[in-house]
This record gives sequence, C-alpha cells and structure tokens, in this order.
Amino acid sequence: MKMADGSTILRRNRPGTKSKDFCRWPDEPLEEMDSTLAVQQYIQQLIKRDPSNVELILTMPEAQDEGVWKYEHLRQFCMELNGLAVRLQKECSPSTCTQMTATDQWIFLCAAHKTPKECPAIDYTRHTLDGAACLLNSNKYFPSSVSSHRVSIKESSVTKLGSVCRRVYRIFSHAYFHHRRIFDEFETETYLCHRFTHFVTKYSLMSKENLIVPINVGENAAPGESEA
Amino acid sequence: MRGCLLAVAMKAGKRLQACQDTHDADANCDGPDLDFVYADVDGYQNEIAELYSYTEFSEFQMNVKAFEDQMELYDLPPNWQKQDPAAQRGIVMKLVDQLEVSDRAFRMQAARCILYLAQGCWAEVQSDEEQHQITRDNVLVLHKLGVFASFIDLLNMEIESACSPDIVAVKITNVTLVDSTDIRVILSVLYIITETIRDERERGSEDYKELAESFVQDINSPLPDGELLAVKLLGMITRFCSGAAPQFPMKKVVLLLWKVSLLGLGGMDVLKNLKNEYRLKVGLEPITEDTLEVTKCMRASSPPATATDILENQYPKRNFKRSLMKQRFLDEPEQIDMEMSGNEGQNNANNGSGNGGGSGNGEEELSQYYRPYDDPSSSASSTTSTANPNNQPSSTQAPAAVPPIQITARLPWTPKVRQKDIDQFLDISRNKFIGYSLIGDHESLAGLPQPIHEGFKTLQRHMYLSLADVQIKKEEDIARNPISTHEDEIKLTPAEVLYQAILPNLPQYMIALLKVLLAASPTSKSKTESINIMADVLPKKMPLTATQSTKLTVDMGRHKEIIVKAVSAIILLYLKHFKINHVYQFEFMSQHLVFANCIPLVLKFFNQTITEYVNTKNSIPLLDFPSCVIGEQPDLSGDSFVYGGEMSDKPYSWRNVFSCINLLRILNKLIKWKHSRVMMLVVFKSAPILKKTLKVRHAMMQLYVLKLLKMQTKYLGRQWRKSNMKTMSAIYSKVRHRLNDDWAFGNDLESRPWDFQAEECTLRACVDRFNLRRYPEATQKCGNNGTAAQNAENAQQSNMMAGNNGMGNNGSDVNGYGNSGGNGGNNGGHSQQQQQQLNDYGVEGGFPSDEILTHSDFAFFGHSGWWDRKVELTDYFKANYAVWLEEEVYNSQTDWDAL
Repeated sequence: MKMADGSTILRRNRPGTKSKDFCRWPDEPLEEMDSTLAVQQYIQQLIKRDPSNVELILTMPEAQDEGVWKYEHLRQFCMELNGLAVRLQKECSPSTCTQMTATDQWIFLCAAHKTPKECPAIDYTRHTLDGAACLLNSNKYFPSSVSSHRVSIKESSVTKLGSVCRRVYRIFSHAYFHHRRIFDEFETETYLCHRFTHFVTKYSLMSKENLIVPINVGENAAPGESEA
Repeated sequence: MRGCLLAVAMKAGKRLQACQDTHDADANCDGPDLDFVYADVDGYQNEIAELYSYTEFSEFQMNVKAFEDQMELYDLPPNWQKQDPAAQRGIVMKLVDQLEVSDRAFRMQAARCILYLAQGCWAEVQSDEEQHQITRDNVLVLHKLGVFASFIDLLNMEIESACSPDIVAVKITNVTLVDSTDIRVILSVLYIITETIRDERERGSEDYKELAESFVQDINSPLPDGELLAVKLLGMITRFCSGAAPQFPMKKVVLLLWKVSLLGLGGMDVLKNLKNEYRLKVGLEPITEDTLEVTKCMRASSPPATATDILENQYPKRNFKRSLMKQRFLDEPEQIDMEMSGNEGQNNANNGSGNGGGSGNGEEELSQYYRPYDDPSSSASSTTSTANPNNQPSSTQAPAAVPPIQITARLPWTPKVRQKDIDQFLDISRNKFIGYSLIGDHESLAGLPQPIHEGFKTLQRHMYLSLADVQIKKEEDIARNPISTHEDEIKLTPAEVLYQAILPNLPQYMIALLKVLLAASPTSKSKTESINIMADVLPKKMPLTATQSTKLTVDMGRHKEIIVKAVSAIILLYLKHFKINHVYQFEFMSQHLVFANCIPLVLKFFNQTITEYVNTKNSIPLLDFPSCVIGEQPDLSGDSFVYGGEMSDKPYSWRNVFSCINLLRILNKLIKWKHSRVMMLVVFKSAPILKKTLKVRHAMMQLYVLKLLKMQTKYLGRQWRKSNMKTMSAIYSKVRHRLNDDWAFGNDLESRPWDFQAEECTLRACVDRFNLRRYPEATQKCGNNGTAAQNAENAQQSNMMAGNNGMGNNGSDVNGYGNSGGNGGNNGGHSQQQQQQLNDYGVEGGFPSDEILTHSDFAFFGHSGWWDRKVELTDYFKANYAVWLEEEVYNSQTDWDAL
C-alpha cells in the first residue's frame, strides 16, 4: 500500500540518526500497529506527544487487557527510570549515599540478591532496575512467544508487578529527598514520578501512604517546580 | 460338660498367653476396629494447630501486640474487621513495604503483624469459625499482594544469618525456643498461607481457584534465586543435621516442606490420576483397584480373645480335628477357629454401627476360609474397588447388582502375575515335557499338554504389566541402541522438576530426613544425639511446677509425633511420585534410603508397644490454636486441663496411625521385589515386631504389615509358619495373591542368590546409567559430593559394636525361627549364611547402630555408587595393608559349599 506513496515509514532509529530526529516518525493509530509490541509503541507515542498529559497516557484503550496494559506501562517506567539513574550517578555514589533511604527513618534492603542486603543507594537503583528488567522480560512470568502479541498475562504474574512498583518507587523517593535538583530537572522533562504515582494509585499497586514524594494529583505541573 | 469346657477354655487362654503368636497374647486390645480413614492430611484445624507447640503460647500475645503497635503507627483503630477491604489492602501493602526495611526489629514487627492477620485476627473474634473465615479472607489478600514471596526473602535472610559464626557458637543442647523466634514467625506465615490454600483448593472454593492454581505453579517453579522452595527447605534440614544451624525449628520446617510438596506434587487423587494417565500413554489399561477403597471394605483381623468367646463358639469340628492331631500342634487349628469366632463376635457387635461395606456378616466372613476361589476379575461386579483390576478387556460393565456383602465373601484383590512368572512357568513346563528351553519366547505352547495350556491361559488372563516394567524396558532399549532408540521428550512435571532439583544432593537430603525421623522416633535414645530437634519446644526457663512439667512432657511427645508424621509423609509422597514419574528416579531415592539404614530405622520405630503409640494422647485440646486464644481462657494453673485430651472423641491418635501407615508403606515400597532387602527384614528379625504391629485393629495398616510378613514368610522357617498359622491365614485372605508365587511354603531357598550386593549393584548400575544419560551435570555433582570411603572402616566397627547392644531382644530369641530344628537339611548352611549376611550388613546381632549412615559410610555396603571410581585408602590402611591381606585374604576360610 505504502509503496504507492513512494516511501514506507520505517519506525526505527537507523544508525547515524541525528538526535533531533530520534524517534521522529508520524503517529499511527493503535489499530493499525501490527508490530509485536503494539501496546508499547502506542504508549511511547503518547508520551512523546505530550509527557505531561499523564491522564491520557494512562487511559487504557478499549479492548485492551488490563494486565498487559499495566505490564507495558511498568516496563516503560523502568526503561525511563534508567534516565534518572544515569543522572543520579553524577551525584549519588556509594560514598555519599551509603544506604538506600528516602526519609531518614528507614533503610531499605536491596531485594535483587539471593539474600536481601543493604546496598548503597546507587547500587540499589541499578540492582533494582536490572532486577525489574529481568523479571519483566522473563519468558517464564511474561511469555511473549506464545503469540505474536501479548494477549493476556497470568494472574500470578500480575501480582509480581506490585513488588516491582514498590521497589522502583524508592528510587524516586531517594532522588527527591537526597538529590532534589536532579529529581526536579528530570521530572520537569518527563513527568515520570507524576505519571508513576498516578499509575500505582489508579491500579492500587501501592498504598497511598507509601507514596511519600509529594505530587498534587490532578495537576499537570510537576510538583518539584511548584515547591522549589 | 459345661464345667469341662470351661476348663478347656481356661487352659486355652493360658496357653494363648504363653504361645509364640504374641499378637494373640494381648487379649485386652480386642476393641472395635479403629474408624481411622487414611487421607493425605488430617483436618485443617488440626493441621494448623499442630504448627504451634504449647510453649509458644505466650508468643500469640506478641503478635496481637505487634498489630496494635503497628495500627497506632498508622493512626488507625486496632481493629482489622472495621477496616474496609481497600484499607486492609493498604495496610498490607505498607506492611510488605516495611518487610524490606533493614532494621530487624522493625521488620519483624511487620512480620508478626502479618502473622497475626494470617492467624485470623483471633483477638477480635468469638469463635473458631469466625477465625477460620478471617484467615481465609486474609490469606487471599496476603497472597495477592505478594506476601509469600516477601517472606521467602525473609527466610533467605534468616538462613543466611544462621551461617554467621557468632551463632554457631551456641551449644546444641542449649538452644531453646528463643533462638528461633524470628524464623518461626516467618515459617508460620508461609505455612498458614500454604496450608490454607491447599485446604481451600481441596474444597474447591471458587474464590481460591485461580489463586490456588497460580500458587501451585509458583511452588513448582524455582524461586528468583533459582532454587525450588522444597529444595531450600531440604537444605535447611541438611544444614540443621550437620549441626551448623541448631536453632532451625525443625518441626515447622518439615511441616512446611510436607505441605509445599503435597500441594506442589499432589496427593492421592492426583497420584491415582497421573498413574492412569501415564499408563494410558504407554498403552496400558488404567488401574481401577484402589488400595484405600478396598481396605475400607476390609475388616481388621482380630485377635480373639477372652475365654468366654472361645467357650461360646465351640465348634464340634474343632474338637474332632483336635482328636486327630498330635498334641503339640494343638494351637493352630484352635487359632483359626478362634479367629472365626472372634470375627463373628465382633461382627455382631459391629452390625449395628454399620460402617460402610465393611461390616459384612459373620457367616460370609467364615466362608472365606472354605469357599473355593472366586475369581473377582471374571465375576461381574462393577463396584469400583474390584472391577477389572487387572486391566483385562472384559465384560464387567454389568450394572451393580451385587450387594457389597458379597465382596467380603471373596478375595479382596484380583490376583496378579508378572511376565517373569509366566516365563518361568513356561520354561519349567517346556523342560519337563519337551526337554528344552525357548529363551525369549513368551507364548509358544507347542508340544505341551492341555492342562498346561489352561494354566498358561489363566496366568495370562492375570498378567499385570506395571508402568515400571515399561519404563525399565525402555531404558534397556536405549542402553542397547542408544542412537536409534528415540527417547520421548521429558515432560517437566512437578515430580520431574523436583527430581532434577534434588538430584545433586539427594543422598544428603535422605540422610537428613532420616536423621530427623530417627531423632523423633519414640524408641530412639537421645543421649548421644548429634541433633536436638527439641530446640523449638524447650522454653528458656524450665518448668517449675508439676503441672507445667506434665504439660511440657505432653508437648514434647506431641512435637516428636508431629515431626514423625511430617517426615514419613514427605518420604512416602516423594517415593510415590518418583515411582510413577520414572521408576529409576524412585530406585535412586529408595536405594539411598536403604543405604542410610531406613529399613532398620523403621523396624526400630515399630519395636515399641505400638498399640500404646496409636492410642497416645499427647495433646491438650484446650491449648491447641485457636482454642487457646479464643473465648474464655482456661485456668492454666489447674491440673485438670492437662488431661483434657482424654475427653476427645477418638480412641486413637490420628497422626500416629497416619505415621505408622506411612512408615509401613515406605517399608513396602523399599522392599517389594527386592530380594536383598527382603533378607534385611529377615536379618533384622522383623517378624516379631511386625506381628506386634498387627495388634492395631485397622485393616489398611494390617494389610501393609501382612504384606511385609508375606515377603519373608518362606525364609522364616517351618517352625515359624507352624506357630503363626493365624497370621498366615490373614495373609492369605487379605494380601493380593500372586498366582504362582510359592510364598508360604516355598523351598527354593537354595536357588536364590545370596550375593545381595550384586543385586543392589546391578540396580545401581541401571540407575546410574539412567541418571548419567538424562542428567549428566547433576549426576557429576552428586558423585563429587561423596567424600569417598575414608570413614568406612570406622563406621563398620562402630556399627558392629552398636549392633550388639542395639536392641534388647535380639540376642536371646535368635532361635525363634530358622534355627530351631525341623528345618530340614538346609538349616545349618542357612544359619551360617544368615550370620554371614548379618556381618555383611555390619550387624552381628540385629540392628546396626542408631546412627543413620552418613554419606561417607556407604562404601561399607560395597556399592557406594562410586564403585567405579577411584577408592582412596586411608594412610592407616596403606601402612598396614600387609596385615589386612594376611588376615582377611590368606587366612580367611570360605566354605564354598555353603554359598
């Protein structure tokens, strides 16, 4: 079909793509997406269009399996969180933040090991994101080979999402309470914490009291800005 | 006349007391049959109650305290039921969050809080039902929010911290309840979740359906660290037995392991279905005879009993018979008659209660002895218990017109025969009639007379091909044609996953399980115990008052019983699952059990007053959870509550009967068709022990005992058979017949090989070949773990010495059978061989030492599994080998005629 126009849109970042052209391809309606990762593509497209429109990004299209929707979002969060981790590395080192804390009350254990242990904050961040990536991409819990599209996800695997959220959220809170500048910069660009808070509240994956980074739910502005 | 009879009866009674058939001797045990029904588990409430020891009572309050503190922290009223579901979820999520905090006290507070929720918030309720309801609701929430996984992380941390050197310094005997406080909280939560899900799944609860399925899947797949939960727990037991972690609460560990395995692998129903499924897959007919069902319809053999019984049931026939007999044979016919009369009397008593099809009536029972054999497979009967058990295509689809009473009138089991037996029959016949053998021909009847044809047909009609036969055949084919034979894809069934996971350390796991079992056995002397399984009962402060110490004694007895129950159930479950999954997996496990002295251990277990054990009431219902915390609290200072157990409705202890049956079944599994192990039964003088066990009036239990007796009957000598005709009759009427098995009067002793090690070695070679082919990596690991034969000599010596004082009764009554004259010409050689055999097993006078043979001791059996590998000799041996050579080789005389 596309041949008629003379060009096929390749939604791919070829080697040598300039950074301003990165991911710069026209939007495509979800129904027409025929790749194996349609849902992911759809979510990324919405984020690219307007990262601050958290409500829209989190609105589940009709006929979408909720498990898959949650899963794909969480995968996206983890991917984007790597951006925060990279920024944190500049400032947060095992010598400055020896423990994973948010408020100074609790020290959290890093669950990515055979036996949970006290890792420095930056290690916690890396281990947790790696662990989450492993889990979310594991063929055992989230098989993708069964059919080309992820049609549905086992209930038992959906319960695993909660613990990923809980652990990943501590990265936000650490950044917020200990590296506020980096957090604010990142949040202004991506609205990631805002979206995440929205997400876990919407699907009650975490308890409200545990969401300690102040976010004014319903407002589009990043909280860091308004309070700073 | 009457007076005369009375005198006879009295005499008979006296003689009974003295006679060798000891299970007749105790007239007091002649009660009604136990109404025990064998099942995978006891009732849910009991299974939960058994998790806690009575000394843990005070800790319940700590849980509710933790909950109240936590709720205060959240600014909420300390009342769970007042929270709406969303709030409850929120609380649990916060608690789970707190479980990942590094401060131990704070973390454990959350853990206790969750334990309280799992315990059903008992402080808020009035009744057990309410508590149960809340437990099941909460478990649903807890599991959905990933509590189980979080607690496994906690368990990992506890296991890890147990390795730290500062804890190991505690002396084993000084470990008490307080040393395991945290780990017990963790294990309790895991156990409650597992057991509740298992129970709800069994009941088929709708709301649990999805959760249960996913939970089972989780259990059957490795944890994030790559280990199966069952393997982790087995590792804990091994660690405990090595003395490295004496504070591990063994009871909770084995209970959890049992329930996790049971849920993961499946219980009796699953086993039955799987077996039939596998049989169908390889082209065999499904099995319809269910041991449990058949034994339900069986009645226990009863020891007869009082003189009046005998008096009232005098049969003229007996008197007639008696007059024809020599005086010294008087006992046996009398015993037969007495059994009949006993049965009849008991029947009359039972008819009122009418427990199922079992209570046929006396006349029917009587006729069992006289009625000609009525082949159940050819008679039309569609009762599930007997219909077409041998899987022959037959026309047994007729409607169930047969009343259950008729079932008891004939043999309960369809006879079976193996291909091997048919071949033997043919071979003998051919040699006799045509004078040559046709090896490998299973069918040709040419030249044989008509009666042989008929016999052959009958045998073939009863031919039974087991799943194991097919699997062994397949293995042989693969070994013969490794390239052209195609192995089916190995399906990752739960049993397969488990086997692969435990294979590298299977020997150690078996030893550890047996060590725990031994330590918990009532007959074990705990003096030289290397492990202390009581650590999780004993409080820090020893009891001061008499009441308290009575309570502690009961508690300790109960604790041991529960451990025996769980361990026996685990071993049996594994054996059964491995057996249908692949017979060589089963053989591997059972061989290691045998090497670790499982057979004498179980026999030793039964070498106690078993009726007493079955009736023991080591429980105080008022102190069982949840009764101990719900409602009005009993006056704990009084003496009366301790004996509340006697008010319980059952005249037996469920768990003890359950354990006994499990252990008997394990023994049967290990020994069946293994000539060398049958000889161990003989060598360890199991017959009197087993006979005592027959006193327990439960058909299923008796059946397994009778099976064990049947296997060894022909080695027990004529004298034994003569004086145990009643037992022989019971075997005849209750145990399945093997058509041309000469079990009772077989005199082929000469032809049986006495080289048992060779037999075990052959089996071992097959198993090793199987393991090496299918699991090359795991098998390598398993081999390397062996520390080889270094301690072999020491072990042998200690075993021999211990064997001498192992059991009280083994020195004197050696003459009970075999040796005591009348045994024909082979007597001398026989006893000599027996003695030789005893030495082979490292025992001169009966049982080897209390010790479970550890890994390195296996070499002592001559088939250590590394027999094809290099044997390392000790320096001591190397220095003195000349002496050894002189003594053991040059100067040792072998009586080749006797072999």
